Amino acid sequence: MTNLQQYTPGPASGAQIRKDGEKWTLILVRELRHAPEKVWQALTDPAHLREWAPFDADGNLGTVGTTVKLTTVGAPAPHVTETTVTRADAPEVLEYKWGGFDMRWELEDLGGGTRLTLWTNIGHRFIAMGAAGWHICFDVLDHLLSGKPIGRMVGPEAMKFGGWQRLNAEYAKQFGIETPKWPPQAAQKP
Amino acid sequence: MKIKVTSLYVDDQNKALRFYTEVLGFAKKTDFSQGPYRWLTVASPEEPNGTELQLALNDNPAAKAYQQAIFQQGQPAAMFFTEDVKGDYERIKARGAEFTMPPTDVTGSTIAMLKDTCGNLIQLTQLARY
Repeated sequence: MTNLQQYTPGPASGAQIRKDGEKWTLILVRELRHAPEKVWQALTDPAHLREWAPFDADGNLGTVGTTVKLTTVGAPAPHVTETTVTRADAPEVLEYKWGGFDMRWELEDLGGGTRLTLWTNIGHRFIAMGAAGWHICFDVLDHLLSGKPIGRMVGPEAMKFGGWQRLNAEYAKQFGIETPKWPPQAAQKP
Repeated sequence: MKIKVTSLYVDDQNKALRFYTEVLGFAKKTDFSQGPYRWLTVASPEEPNGTELQLALNDNPAAKAYQQAIFQQGQPAAMFFTEDVKGDYERIKARGAEFTMPPTDVTGSTIAMLKDTCGNLIQLTQLARY
């Protein structure tokens, strides 16, 4: 049995949603038992991102002004977008765009550990799905930083995983919203 | 192998969904997302399990250039077939759509052309009966 098969995510927690006009922002907070410098590398280095993030990057995200192509892993049609890093204050604040999403990462030093906060705007309808996906990504990141990688779980791998489906429902309940049922009607066997 | 879905680039998926459902009269079929990628399709209520039209966000510079060029040339990005082009023209116009060509007889069909507000021209086609 691999580590991934043994992995069960904990309950939905550490997420909030905020609304500014038509724009919804998902805010996720996770405390990691690793120093900010180490977390920063995992957020910016393409080789590290490939181990946990829902996108691949063709360059390092750690320098302001750099243009990087991000590939959404497992999208139902090839999806590559280009972003320019707009803020990179290592190891504290990182800002860029992923497609139409503004991504802002904050790393707060907890004396050996890091409080990691992500702000990302996301369509209201999909906000619980996003929270569930990032929850799992952060678990995978935590294992990776601890030297016990369990392998990236994003896109279709995450969605067919019972833990993701449970988190999707739990976050929807916490946010007080409806979330699309998964799998979608059209994909279900007759 | 079947032709099950065809894609259209749009500049805003929410705006497109409103236009294609509320103005044109199609029905939302599938809507889910993965990260910033959103898979959104509509289908005709006359043929709910028929070919779907994907409303794809145009965040691709190459596709934007192509979309703008064919729009400026007056080329439709998609064609829909109808049994009543004049009736559809009146109905869709009454809902606020801007037509660039009223129903016009051409070889083998009557066509009309409208703007979808999302960067495309759409042609409505009614085949002639001989």
